[in-house]
Amino acid sequence: MRVPVGMPLRESEAIVLRTTRLGEADKIVSLLTRQWGRLRAVAAGARRPKSRWGALFEPMTHLRAWIFERENRDLLRMNSADLIESFFDMQKEYRIQVATNYLGEVTERLLPEREANERAFRLLVAVLKGLKVSGEVNRPLGYFDYWMLKLGGFLPDFERCHNCGRDMGQGAFYGPGSEGLVCRDCKPPAAASPLPKNDLRTMALACSQPLDKWLRTQRVGDSIRVRLFLEEVIRTHAERELVTVGMLKEEG
Amino acid sequence: MKDYAEPLARLIEELKRLPGIGQKSAQRIAFHLQRVPREEAERLAAAVHEVKDKIRLCSRCNNLTDRDICEFCSDPTRSADVICVVESPFNVVAIEKTREFHGQYHVLHGALSPLQGIGPEQLKIKSLLERLKGGVKELIIATNPNVEGEATAIYLSKLIKPLGVRVTRIAMGIPVGSELDFADEVTMLKAIEGRREI
Repeated sequence: MRVPVGMPLRESEAIVLRTTRLGEADKIVSLLTRQWGRLRAVAAGARRPKSRWGALFEPMTHLRAWIFERENRDLLRMNSADLIESFFDMQKEYRIQVATNYLGEVTERLLPEREANERAFRLLVAVLKGLKVSGEVNRPLGYFDYWMLKLGGFLPDFERCHNCGRDMGQGAFYGPGSEGLVCRDCKPPAAASPLPKNDLRTMALACSQPLDKWLRTQRVGDSIRVRLFLEEVIRTHAERELVTVGMLKEEG
Repeated sequence: MKDYAEPLARLIEELKRLPGIGQKSAQRIAFHLQRVPREEAERLAAAVHEVKDKIRLCSRCNNLTDRDICEFCSDPTRSADVICVVESPFNVVAIEKTREFHGQYHVLHGALSPLQGIGPEQLKIKSLLERLKGGVKELIIATNPNVEGEATAIYLSKLIKPLGVRVTRIAMGIPVGSELDFADEVTMLKAIEGRREI
């Protein structure tokens, strides 16, 4: 393929995070690419009924994309794309749709544009596969939250108080806007009920293995409470309310 | 120095707010409106006013109408046994073009889209459930064939099937007049899943 001068061609695996309408027939596709990080590109004609793109740009589709970059233009241009794996069918379930939208929203909020992060890309692919295979929301999202925070360097200490640095004993607390867990003495007034240390340890242990391996085992401990805490930390670092968090709570 | 006289600049700014209208198109339309006879420009302004004053939602199906009950709901020749559920009033027009559907409509005004903050509460689902109490036999779900439309369709079917109403979904697959070679894997799969005996 001939690449026009001044218009470098990029080829990369990518996950579609979300799409927005552009003009009469086009779409702006927000992508997390394996090699180039988060990008936004225009897919011309993607909304036409006879479009060659078809279902490629549905949220969370894993594809191989060929993208042109044009000088002095913020938006890139998608030249071609091939499907690697579709996650269309699993999102028929509303609670899975809410979960995948949460993945997309957190990825867009926490990862800066045009900064390669291959580990985040691999994490997203693994979590999507986990959702697809298990049909379960809690453990895949907990795994995603844990590793997104860890990759960003924001993962709180599960053993020591964020405030005073002492061992938290058997119960750890957090409240709205928390960046970490605190001990009983430092507990904020609006703190939720304590997170048992055992749950935190179980979560850390579970997240130290591949997600598919964790999903093959029986559930141990109550990971949902730890997940809610990790979600709170993500909200704090996103510095903006996440639309999908409330909906996740409604769906249990 | 300003590029345009203040009233013209304001008109261009207002036109740019319209969907699909950029700076160039806005300039072209504004200069055109300045050139046309006054009556023509006033007809346009009056039409905009009339739409804002008279158009509202049908109290039964939520389609756009200038009466309390829209023409589809009040037409005695249309069957009230079958309701076609669509996302927007545009979709009603698309289905009407086929001239093959003789039932009534229900407009949801959106589809489930968590990223845009649209959950079941934001859609016109309660009024649909009310309508089903009137002895509806079939509900055709014609939401868009994308993730949001599919999730909405499945959500509605789970809600409505237990009420004893037949729930069907419009087919997905290869567009008429295109070629199989150009179909992507997901569309092809949907076409095979939705095959029918001939």
